[in-house]
Amino acid sequence: MELVLFDAFNGLIQGTFYALMALGLSLIISLNSVINFAHGGFMVIGAYLAFTLAPYIGFWGALFAGPILAGLLGILVERVLVRRLYGRADPIYSLLLTFGLALIIENSVRSIWGAQGQPFRIPAGLDSPVSSVYFFLTGYRVFVMAAIALAAASLFAFLRFSRFGLRIRAGILDLETVSALGVNVYLLRAVNFAIGIALAGFAGVLAAGVLQLSPTMGNDVIMATFVAIVVGGIGSLLGSVLGGLIIGLAAGVTAAYYPVASDVVIYVIMAFVLIVRPRGLLGQEGLFE
Amino acid sequence: MSLLELKNVSRVFGKLTALEDVSLEMEEGELYAVIGPNGAGKTTLFNLISGFFPATSGEIRFDGVEVTRLSPERRVAAGLVRTFQITEIFPELSVFENIRIGVEAQLGCSAQPWPSRGLARRIDRRVEELLAITALSSQGGRRASVLTHGDQRVVEVTMALSLKPRLLLLDEPTAGMGRAETQHMVNLIRSLHQEQKLSILFIEHDMDVVFGIADRISVLNAGRVLATGTPKEIAANPRVQTAYLGEAA
Amino acid sequence: MTGRLARSLILWVLLLLVPFWLPMVGGYTALASRILVYALCAMGLNLLLGFTGMMSFGQAAYFGLGGYGAGLVLVHLSGSSWLAVLAGTVLGGAAAFLLGPVVMRRRGIYFAMITVAVGQIFFFVAERWDSLTGGEDGLTGFSRQPLHFGGYVLPLSDVPFYYFVLFFFALAAGVMALVLRSPLGHSFVAIRENRRRAAFLGIHVERYVWAAFAFAGLIGGLAGALNALQNNFVSPENLYWVESGNFVIIAVLGGMRSFWGPLIGSIIFIGIQDYVSSLFPNNWESLIGVLFIIVVLFFPNGILGIIRRRAGLA
Repeated sequence: MELVLFDAFNGLIQGTFYALMALGLSLIISLNSVINFAHGGFMVIGAYLAFTLAPYIGFWGALFAGPILAGLLGILVERVLVRRLYGRADPIYSLLLTFGLALIIENSVRSIWGAQGQPFRIPAGLDSPVSSVYFFLTGYRVFVMAAIALAAASLFAFLRFSRFGLRIRAGILDLETVSALGVNVYLLRAVNFAIGIALAGFAGVLAAGVLQLSPTMGNDVIMATFVAIVVGGIGSLLGSVLGGLIIGLAAGVTAAYYPVASDVVIYVIMAFVLIVRPRGLLGQEGLFE
Repeated sequence: MSLLELKNVSRVFGKLTALEDVSLEMEEGELYAVIGPNGAGKTTLFNLISGFFPATSGEIRFDGVEVTRLSPERRVAAGLVRTFQITEIFPELSVFENIRIGVEAQLGCSAQPWPSRGLARRIDRRVEELLAITALSSQGGRRASVLTHGDQRVVEVTMALSLKPRLLLLDEPTAGMGRAETQHMVNLIRSLHQEQKLSILFIEHDMDVVFGIADRISVLNAGRVLATGTPKEIAANPRVQTAYLGEAA
Repeated sequence: MTGRLARSLILWVLLLLVPFWLPMVGGYTALASRILVYALCAMGLNLLLGFTGMMSFGQAAYFGLGGYGAGLVLVHLSGSSWLAVLAGTVLGGAAAFLLGPVVMRRRGIYFAMITVAVGQIFFFVAERWDSLTGGEDGLTGFSRQPLHFGGYVLPLSDVPFYYFVLFFFALAAGVMALVLRSPLGHSFVAIRENRRRAAFLGIHVERYVWAAFAFAGLIGGLAGALNALQNNFVSPENLYWVESGNFVIIAVLGGMRSFWGPLIGSIIFIGIQDYVSSLFPNNWESLIGVLFIIVVLFFPNGILGIIRRRAGLA
């Protein structure tokens, strides 16, 4: 029983990462109309930046600096590259562009930090179990879940209550009208892209403390992120979170009973959802088609 | 027996009644026009007849068979074919290729990966025939997107013809056309009616067009049929004059 | 029309004579085989991408499956290279056929996300089913077998293998060209041009997307089988999603709207990859990434698109 709990808990942790990644990617898909294949790459960048900075500014400093720097890089990429694709009707180009970007990021990370995995040191107070029975409940893991929940909640609050957040939501619904009302949609899209990337960076830093850092750690995560979005319903931010948690948990539970299938199960869930409820759990009909 | 028969057809959108208790009958071989001021419910009527949305109540019969709840595709197969107000063609294909897709669909061979030589020849011949009927033969090789608006509408009509309609529904066939283009379309409609013996129902804004060619006319106003009759009867009907000309003036 | 005939004649003559002229310009025959294999797979993908207008991003799954199909036949069943190719083709086609209903109802970027994600199923199966597939290390222990023609035995060394590949390339290209000229092909293009209108003409759009998807998978499987024979090795990386991007860029680079576009794209892409990876063994992936971005920003219509525009045909 404890083993099942252990795997389920692990899955849930994994699910919170997927949820945070999916949340950022969903934002970008919705307002920037771009499927960001490099989203996993930006996660890796956030993690490695934090890894490099941590010796100088400490874990807590790096936890914030990593995502912020990744977000700034996101703005740069949006301004220089992604922006050029907004006018193109065929979304294939944004896929290819971000795909190329993902290749560049992975390769650059490998040449800068090496192909080998790197351990990421977490604060001493956080790495001991909080419960003697449930040994897997380390302080760090509990912290990760709380931090991600806080980040997601802040994002939803930002979108709901701040003026800028309201504009983003309005832009998602109808960018042309928002533009006609005098809102600077260039800025809106750039900031939105950066927020999505920063969330990926944040997920990266937190994940680095659980897993090992490696240049390819984003590759599998990006696919799981896609699955989370499809399962939750494309266009629904809440759906992305839900989708992420569900597939993470499902993978964890499967790992307890039939470990060989734990990677495949999320894709099987996706296929099942697509047949039974093609628009996803919380998705709307006909969006982004 | 009438070719098309509407009995007490109504359509409600939320609180708005777009069509109320509309009844009309159309005979085989007729050229029938539906006119009415903006918002009278002409387009709603068209969508009900072609099956784009269902009637709230009432009955639609085509050739004696009830079609009220059939899908648009099933109605097409039965011979009830419409054109669209906004030109719906295949822009990057040639005119010939546009029509060929319709012909292949009509012959039920759209899924054929290896057509026999005979079939391929039959398809091509049928396309040529249709292009000749609508005087598009000389344009066959041109890309549809480079044609004038008027010619694109003719392509649209030809594509509808390729489905071998028993009743052709034309949705504002001259909308957005200049005078020469309008005249060309009017001639085409007339020749389809007279030479191809097609039954045609059309809705139209342009009064000159309607009174020039229609056998019979129904006037819609505020979702109801105000009057039905020959062009002469309609022109003389005082209720039509107040409803229609009042709005125009 | 005669110009077109002349061009295809030149193309086929050039392809037939590759082993004679390619070494003279600094290439090698195995590179040409690889170019044909990737071109074939991208041409299959292009049935969806360029002709049906469906943005599939999961072609590598069927390419990889074709490889495993071929490899497993040679390891366990028979020493026939023909049978290996057949098995790979069938496996790729069957997998795409079975997954068709999952993907066919969606469009646009949704279709792209789903096709790429669904393909991952096969990647994880291949990676985890160690006993059958060799797991992460890939499938080894086979090599392409000589062909037997009556009493005559032809070993598949580099040059004969090139002709072996060319044979299947020509066969598949012929079938694809025929289908694209058939009513079925016209229906694919109709869906690309105006899905709503096609549906209204009575074309059941989803079934045709399914058909195109299965067809693309079949061709992908064939290409994958040939790839396995070429390398005498199948890696799970062959069906990883990153490989799918290569097929998309090959199609786009050459010109999605033209039948031969992917061949041109493959010549350039595989050529550059071969050259750059020997020159910069550590950074070539970045350079390929830069190539992706350059194509997207500056050559969105591909090489053949540019040529056609220059010639005033488009």
